Amino acid sequence: MKTSSFGYLVKEGTRSLWVNRLMSTAAIGVLAACMILVGAAGLFAANVSNIVSYFEDENEIVVFLQDGIDQKGVDDANLKIRMMSNVSEANFVSNEEALQEQMEKYGEYAWLLEEYQGEENMLPHAFRVKVKELEKLEQTAQDLLDMEEVQEVRVPTEVAHTLLGIRSVVTWCGTAIVAILLVVSLLIIANTIKITVFNRRKEISIMKYVGATDSFIKLPFVVEGLLLGLISALLAYMIVWGGYVYVMEWAGTVESAWLQELYRYFVPFEQVYKVLLASFCAIGVGIGSFGSMVFVGKYLKV
Amino acid sequence: MIEFSNVSKRYENGTKALENVSLNIDRGEFVFIVGSSGAGKSTLIKLMLREEKPTSGIIHVNGFNLNKIKRRQIPKFRRTLGVVFQDFRLIPYMTAYDNVAFALRVTNVSSRDIRRRVPYVLGLVGLASKARIVPDKLSGGEQQRVALARALVNNPDLIIADEPTGNIDPELSFEIVELLHEINKMGTTIVMVTHEHELVSHFNHRVITIENGTVVSDAPEYQEESGGYL
Repeated sequence: MKTSSFGYLVKEGTRSLWVNRLMSTAAIGVLAACMILVGAAGLFAANVSNIVSYFEDENEIVVFLQDGIDQKGVDDANLKIRMMSNVSEANFVSNEEALQEQMEKYGEYAWLLEEYQGEENMLPHAFRVKVKELEKLEQTAQDLLDMEEVQEVRVPTEVAHTLLGIRSVVTWCGTAIVAILLVVSLLIIANTIKITVFNRRKEISIMKYVGATDSFIKLPFVVEGLLLGLISALLAYMIVWGGYVYVMEWAGTVESAWLQELYRYFVPFEQVYKVLLASFCAIGVGIGSFGSMVFVGKYLKV
Repeated sequence: MIEFSNVSKRYENGTKALENVSLNIDRGEFVFIVGSSGAGKSTLIKLMLREEKPTSGIIHVNGFNLNKIKRRQIPKFRRTLGVVFQDFRLIPYMTAYDNVAFALRVTNVSSRDIRRRVPYVLGLVGLASKARIVPDKLSGGEQQRVALARALVNNPDLIIADEPTGNIDPELSFEIVELLHEINKMGTTIVMVTHEHELVSHFNHRVITIENGTVVSDAPEYQEESGGYL
């Protein structure tokens, strides 16, 4: 194909977008609406996942060392704990620090604990350990308990199970919703493109009668589909962007303590805009051009 | 130029459209194909254009064996002929000029040649002043002349016209066939399907009559004494 022909076909595709503007508007509307739904579901899942991750990070195992353990024992325990693959953080809390914490909690009754200071301190040294993967929490707790320097391990198993459950539900539901929306979108879009092409089947047959090759006929449709997809992607992106920023601003101003707490863990738009824009463009351009190519092909057998 | 040897066509639903049709049309001829509705005329045209394949028999058109032609060779074959339909089949959003130019663009003709040839052909069919008008704004006769210009622009050796006067006024019909007649005089073979007696008798060319899927007569000219062509 000559460069001039290629230029002509690209120009025809662009022109056709305007000439068939009613169908183009319908196709853009459907495609953009589908992408907005997919994008919103994805952003919701990402936010819930982020909030759950925060609570996961707050989970820690408290490892109490043996009574009367010496400094060498503490150093050995420190080394062993940090060597464990699932440990992300380990902070030593001496029995003095633990007593201070307790006294702070007691507030005006802190004097009750004063007699346990120094030599009389009955509290054990401890480590506060954070894990990388919550799923392996119990195994890690067992490994810690198996250490000779360790007397007892306190594990927030119930909280961990709840959080794991929430994350699992969010992940599965999010994936399922996005997948269902994608399939529904594909069906609607396929139908829209099919109608667009069906409306122009006569035009396609005319092209065949004057000796146009299949690729010559397909290219303007593919260009048109590609442009439809791209316009829809940009439109959907702008709407999702505007909507998300609006919701974020609203959430930031609501006088609700728990919402303010959660607000800190909302995913900022700057963090996801590249992925969102790239996904929308890929979906739009891919569906638009591929869909056009497939459906035009059906009317080429003249 | 066109050769049908024992061609039969039976559609998938069982309809027998053509039965053992043999005919030869030579270069430079003007042939009317006539017959009543459902006689098989349209199937004959579809077979000539390789829109359909015969169930049996052999078809040669413009040096192409249409039984053996590959799908990707069909565009090349169709560029060797011009086609005119009853319903004009113009692209509605393209101007008369662009509709004609389109037939050149598909064959990769340079823009310079397009600018030279399209106005010439539009002038030939008397539409030079209406080049920038879209089909909807043209009369039926004018639309058919655009279609004729499109069929002519590639300088084809053969023009197949399927009821080209079916959708236009009788007086304009004569103009269209007159144009085809003039084109024929320049050496182009014309095959025209029609059911209009007046036209056939007026222009006095070879007449092939088809009835019930078979060729019932092939006369060198219109024969009044046999009741026309039927």
